[in-house]
Amino acid sequence: MTRKNWFCGSAEHSVSRRSFLGGAMAGAAAMTAADMTVLDVLQSPAIADELKRQDKRVILFWLAGGASQLETWDPKPGRPTGGPYRAIQTNVPGIHISELMPRMSQRLEHTAIIRSLNTKIGDHGGGAKLMHLGRRDESAIKFPDLGAMIARELGRPDSSVPDYVNFYTATEGRSGGTGQSGFLGARYAPMFLTTESKPENLGLPEGLTSADHKTRADLRQLLSNQFAAGRKSSSLGSHNEAYARVRGLMSSEKLFDISDEPQSVRDKYGPTLLGEQTLVARRLIEAGTPFVKVSRAWWDSHGQNFETHLELVSELDHVMSGLLDDLKDRGLLENTLVLTLSEFGRTPTINASLGRDHFPSAWSVSLTGCGIQGGSVYGKSDEDGRTVADGEVSAGPIFATIFRALGIDHDKEYHFGVRPVPLTNPGIEPLDELIA
Amino acid sequence: MTAAKPENLKIVKEFGRKEILFSVARQPNSNRVFLGASDAKVYDLDVMAEKPEPVAMLGHESYVTGTALAGKYLISGAYDGRLIWWDTETRQQVRAINAHTRWIRGVTATPDGRYVLSVADDMLCRIWDVAKGTLVRDLIGHAPRTPHHFPSMLYACNVSADGRYAATADRVGKSIVWDLHNGRQLATMEAPIMYTWDPKQRIHSIGGIRSVAFSADSQLIAVGGIGTIGNIDHLDALARVEIFDWQKGERVHELAGDTHKGLVERLVFHPNGDWLMAAGGDHGGFIQFYNLANGEIMKQDKAPMHVHDVVLNESADTLYAAGHGKAVVWSLKGEA
Repeated sequence: MTRKNWFCGSAEHSVSRRSFLGGAMAGAAAMTAADMTVLDVLQSPAIADELKRQDKRVILFWLAGGASQLETWDPKPGRPTGGPYRAIQTNVPGIHISELMPRMSQRLEHTAIIRSLNTKIGDHGGGAKLMHLGRRDESAIKFPDLGAMIARELGRPDSSVPDYVNFYTATEGRSGGTGQSGFLGARYAPMFLTTESKPENLGLPEGLTSADHKTRADLRQLLSNQFAAGRKSSSLGSHNEAYARVRGLMSSEKLFDISDEPQSVRDKYGPTLLGEQTLVARRLIEAGTPFVKVSRAWWDSHGQNFETHLELVSELDHVMSGLLDDLKDRGLLENTLVLTLSEFGRTPTINASLGRDHFPSAWSVSLTGCGIQGGSVYGKSDEDGRTVADGEVSAGPIFATIFRALGIDHDKEYHFGVRPVPLTNPGIEPLDELIA
Repeated sequence: MTAAKPENLKIVKEFGRKEILFSVARQPNSNRVFLGASDAKVYDLDVMAEKPEPVAMLGHESYVTGTALAGKYLISGAYDGRLIWWDTETRQQVRAINAHTRWIRGVTATPDGRYVLSVADDMLCRIWDVAKGTLVRDLIGHAPRTPHHFPSMLYACNVSADGRYAATADRVGKSIVWDLHNGRQLATMEAPIMYTWDPKQRIHSIGGIRSVAFSADSQLIAVGGIGTIGNIDHLDALARVEIFDWQKGERVHELAGDTHKGLVERLVFHPNGDWLMAAGGDHGGFIQFYNLANGEIMKQDKAPMHVHDVVLNESADTLYAAGHGKAVVWSLKGEA
C-alpha cells in the first residue's frame, strides 16, 4: 500500500503529516505512555500550528434508522427489487443514482460512492455503534466515535468554538446516535443538541450584564494567576482552559442563530429542520469546529418505503446539494469532508406494506469533498442488490479512508492504559482508489 | 341460490403472482380482468379459468397503478407518468401519452366511457377525451407540498354513477368534489386523521386518503385511509373510513372497525346502498363491509394479501381483487 496523498492535494498541504509528527511524537513519547489522552501533545506549538494550517472539517449526515441504498446511491431500475424510482444519469459519465436526487446528480464530481458495504449487523443499536466507532464494540473498552477522534485530531486547544457538535432532534434512535468520546474523555464528547438547534444556557443569567461578566472573569483570572505563580501543575492549566472554553462557547452562541443569514443562503438549505441545522453546521465549521454531525431520523421504512424516501431523500438532496454549493462558494469544500452514513441499508425485497426492512449485506455510503476522488464509485452490488458483487468492505476501511482524506494517520495509536489502540483496527487499510 | 350478501363472503379463486398487482379492471359480464403490475406490465387473463394464462401487455416503464375500461379501450396509467390506450381485442397499443410529470396514482373512466380521469403526484386530476386522446380539462386544487414542506401526493379519484361529479383525494387528508362538466369545485372535505405527521419521534409523515367513492345516488362520498399512527415505521393503526354527505357538508360516519390495521386502498358502494366495502391491508390484508344505515360492520375477514384494488360485478355478487402477489375472486352468493 502506498502512503501518499496525506492531505487534500493542494500544494500547501503537501507535507507528510506522518513525517511532521514523527519527530514531535518521538519527543513526546514519554508523555504518551500511560494516560494518553495526549492533550498535552496537541498543545505542542509546532503540532498545533500544523493542524491549524490544515483547517480540515467534517460534516456528517447521519441518516438514522437506515436509508435505502436503492432509493439513493445504488438504484436497480427495472429489477424486481428496484422499486418504482428510476435511475438518472449524473454529471459523471457512467454513474447513475436515484431520480430522487436530481440536484446531487449534477454535483457528483465531488462525491465518491461506496456501494459494497457488508456490515453484518442488522439491528439499529449494533449497526449504529459499528458505524460510529468504525469497529465492533468491546465490553472491556469504550472506544471513541468518529466525531471524538476527529475532534481530537483536528481540534485546536485554543479554539473558542466547540470541537464536536451533534444535532439529533428526533427522539427515535437517539440513544444510538448520542456519540461517545470513550477513553478520550469528556474533553472530546459532543455538544449534543436535541430539542433545540442552539445550545441552552449559553446566555448570561438574567441581571448579569456583559460588563459585569467580564469584570468577574478578569478577577477570576487575576486570582488564578496569583495562585499559579511559582506553582507547576497540569491541573491549573486544565482549570484555566475550562474557563476559557466556557467563555468561548458563550461567545459562539451567535453561530447557532441563522436569522441573520441572507434569505438566498437560507433558500439553498430549504425550510426544514434538517436544512436549518445544516446551515448551522456550515457556520460552525467555518468558525473552526472540526466535526459536526447532523442527524436526520428516522428512515426505518418497514411500511411505505417509497413515500418515506420521497420525503426524506428529496429533503436530503436539497440540503446536501445546497451545502455543497455553499461550501464551494466560500472556498471551503476542498477542506471539508461531507459524509452520509447510516446504520445499514434496506432490503431489496419489498414487503406487503410496500416497505423495506433492515439490510446490512450490500448497502451504500458517500464521501464528498476534502481529500476525496470525486466522481468515483467503489465496489458493486449484484444486479438485484442482494449481495456484494465486488469490493466488499465494512466500517473499518470507510473510517480509514475518512482519516486518510483528512490527512490523519489511521494507524496512529492512542493508549487505553497500556493497550495501544490505533484509530482503526490493525490491518485495516483505506480505500486508496477514493483518495484524491 | 340465495341472495348475495356480505355474510356469504368466500374466496372462490386465488391466483398467485410474483409481482405486486396494483390495479384491476374487468371486462363487463365476464371473468376477464386486466391487472396492472409492478413489473410495468398489464396482464390480461380469465381469472376463473382452471389454469389462468395471463398475457402480458408491454409498454410502461414502471409500476402500473391504474387500469380503466372505456368502451373498446383499456387505459392504463403508471408511475412513469404515461397513459396508454390499448385495444382490448388485439391487446395492441392505440395511443400513449406523457400525461403527468409525476407518478400516476389512479385512473378512472366516466360511466359513459367518453372520458377518463387520471390523478398523479403532480397534484393534477386530468380529464382526457377517450376517443381523441386529448386533454379536456385539469382539475387543480390540491397543494403540491404538505404543511411540513414535503412533496404531497394525489392518490385517488372517482366519478359518480350519474357522470356529473368527480372526487379526488390527497396525502394530507383533503378531498374535493368537482363538477365534471365545468371543472368547478363544489365541496371540500377534510379527513386529517388519515395523515399522520410525526413531529417528534421520526419527523416525517405517513398515510393519506388512499381511496374515494361516491354512493350510487351520488349523495355520499366515502374516503378511506388509516387512522393516526403511533409508530410510523409501520402501517400500525386501524383502517379508517369516513363518509360525508358532501352537499350538506356533513360527516355522516367515522368507521374504524376494531380488528384490521392498514390502509383502505379501495372502497365500493353497493349499487342499492346496502353496504360499503373497504379493502386494503398492512403486511396482511382485509376486507370489510359496513352497514350504511348505522355504520356497523356487517362482515369482515382477512384477505390472503394486501389488497390494492377491487371491482364489483354487475350483479353485485362477485368481487375481483388485485394485491400483493395475488389476484383473488370473492363470492357473496349464498348456497342454494
